Amino acid sequence: MEHNHILIVDDEERVLSTSSKLLSQKGFQVSTASNAKEALALIGQKAIHVVVMDIKMPGMDGIEALKIIKQQYPLIEVIMLTGHATVETAIEGLQSGAFDFLIKPADIDELAQAISRASEKRDQIETKIRMAQTKHYMKSPREIIKSTSS
Amino acid sequence: MLKTYSKIKKYILASMILAPFLPFIIVLGIGFYYFTSSIENSTLAGLKQTVSDHRQMIDTFLQERKSDLIFISKAYGPETLLKQASIQKAYNDLNSKSRAFVDLGVFDENGIHRSYSGPYQLTLKNYENEFWFKQVMKKGTYISDIFLGYRQVPHFVIAVTSRVNSHVWIIRATIDTKQFSDLVEKVQFGRTGEAYILNTSGIFQTTRRSGGNLMETDSEFTQFPYSDNGIMHFIENIKTGKKFLYTSTFLTEKDWLLVVRQETAEVFRQLHTASYLIILISLSGGAVIFSIAIVLTNRIINRIRQIDNKNELITQQLIHATRLSELGEMAAGFAHEINNPLQIIKNEQSLLLLMIEEINKSSSAIQPQTNKEINDSLEQIAIQISRAAKITQAILKFGRKEKPSMSQIELQSFIPEIINMVKGKATVNDISILKYFPENAAPIVCGDPSQLQQVLLNLLNNAIDAICEANDSTGGVIKIEIALPDTSTVEISVSDNGIGINPDNIEKIFAPFFTTKPMGQGTGLGLSVCYGIIKNMGGEMTVSSNKNDGTEFKIQLPAA
Repeated sequence: MEHNHILIVDDEERVLSTSSKLLSQKGFQVSTASNAKEALALIGQKAIHVVVMDIKMPGMDGIEALKIIKQQYPLIEVIMLTGHATVETAIEGLQSGAFDFLIKPADIDELAQAISRASEKRDQIETKIRMAQTKHYMKSPREIIKSTSS
Repeated sequence: MLKTYSKIKKYILASMILAPFLPFIIVLGIGFYYFTSSIENSTLAGLKQTVSDHRQMIDTFLQERKSDLIFISKAYGPETLLKQASIQKAYNDLNSKSRAFVDLGVFDENGIHRSYSGPYQLTLKNYENEFWFKQVMKKGTYISDIFLGYRQVPHFVIAVTSRVNSHVWIIRATIDTKQFSDLVEKVQFGRTGEAYILNTSGIFQTTRRSGGNLMETDSEFTQFPYSDNGIMHFIENIKTGKKFLYTSTFLTEKDWLLVVRQETAEVFRQLHTASYLIILISLSGGAVIFSIAIVLTNRIINRIRQIDNKNELITQQLIHATRLSELGEMAAGFAHEINNPLQIIKNEQSLLLLMIEEINKSSSAIQPQTNKEINDSLEQIAIQISRAAKITQAILKFGRKEKPSMSQIELQSFIPEIINMVKGKATVNDISILKYFPENAAPIVCGDPSQLQQVLLNLLNNAIDAICEANDSTGGVIKIEIALPDTSTVEISVSDNGIGINPDNIEKIFAPFFTTKPMGQGTGLGLSVCYGIIKNMGGEMTVSSNKNDGTEFKIQLPAA
């Protein structure tokens, strides 16, 4: 569960408190933000792995925030959770890099599953990156001999 | 509105009547003028010709009688004719040629009647002071007017002089007045046509058929115009009220006026017939123009009224559509707002469940009965949340304003795919779905495939529900038929033998939020969304249904 730090972003205080309680019960580490600006600030400070975000929020809306997150922190997976469920917003969200698009009222298990899948995806990507980096720094035995002899 | 129509009607009617009527009347008027003038001229010319011919005949008669006398005087000699036997022979000779002579006599220059052959006793009578005697002595030949003379019978004479050895002899014959009158009167034209002769004082020299005896004065004579050689004509109103056309001319042999007259009613009968005919044509033509104008005006007004009504309907539909669209947007906003509290309620419900579990694990467990009731309530909350969520999602779908992705849909392959989606549900309920597709055509329509799929799925699901409701799904049949009523239209009909729609509900069937399904089973948005989709595709959607018999939905789309 080391990569299960979740950030929930919603302008409804009660959504934040209840969701965070429920997800904590399911073993996630949960942070909350009541708007997009606050969320972006938190992401900068803490190591967030998955963001669950509403679309319609005062100030910056969810889609805009999503774009910024994916640009600045490409490894963070974002799940959109919205009451304004139209096909256009769903397509726009997914095209902008959202991992999933859930419609309010969503079941907590459904949400937990989506987070787990997002988390797994992130783990896989991180593993790949790590392996690539290792490959880059590690030299083969032939190369070691070569460098010693010279 | 009605006032406007009657005003337009008046204008159209007036123009439709006046436009053809004015030229019609003008043409008819000009035609009438030339036609009547032509008939009048030809009638007058005919009459004048008759008068001229008749004059010539009378002149010839008088001339011949005069020549007869001159011949007798020359052939016999006046002195020979003094003998009774000779004058008798000469008279017989004259009458053998023409039976116009009544008698024959010879006078000496003193006016003594010397010899005579005829029915009267006139020998040795003195004619010295008689007007005719003076005239013949002066002129050599003379034709007298009608006079009574010694015999006291109206007659006229022809006299010629003959000079023998410085003696002047006068040979005179009396003309048979009846025969002369017959000659003049015999000219026949029409029923009222008649001819007669007047002298220069207007006294009848021949009788007139319609009244006028010899030697009477013609009361209309004073009005006759004079012309020495021409033929005059004029129309005179006789005191009896009849109108006559007079044609008159003077004879050449004698200053007598030959008058031919005929009632104008008869002369111009043809003209009057023509006039009546023209009046009849005008009236019937006018009636035809009037009736056509009325019929056409009524048609035009009805057409205008229909177009106005149609426009009114379209305006109302537009207002309705605008309101519906506004309602859709508003509903979408509400749905979004409702989804947020629903999320909270759902979270709270999940938390409550967790809390109950926690409590049950602890020593202070809730009593089983109470626990069950709490769990039931929580379950109900979950059910009601998902019910509300279904409604808000349907509203969002209804109110969305997304641009459909248009493409060509080949119905013969598209529809079976949709049928496959409901086949399972249909089979479970023992419902057969029958397809009727045209054999030699591949109907294609233009639209968003997912939208059309939504419409057809909705109709098929409704049909299945209707059948289930009607006969507990035994022998249920759904028919999907594609027809091509014309080259530009494709018609898809979905019919079932289900419960049918109540006549009271059929008008409201496409209205949003209208449903006949039990509480909680339908949002009332399905058909109104379908209706909107078909309208957006430029089509029409209609429904016909008989209660307990089945329902048929027809979709007409423009062919691609």
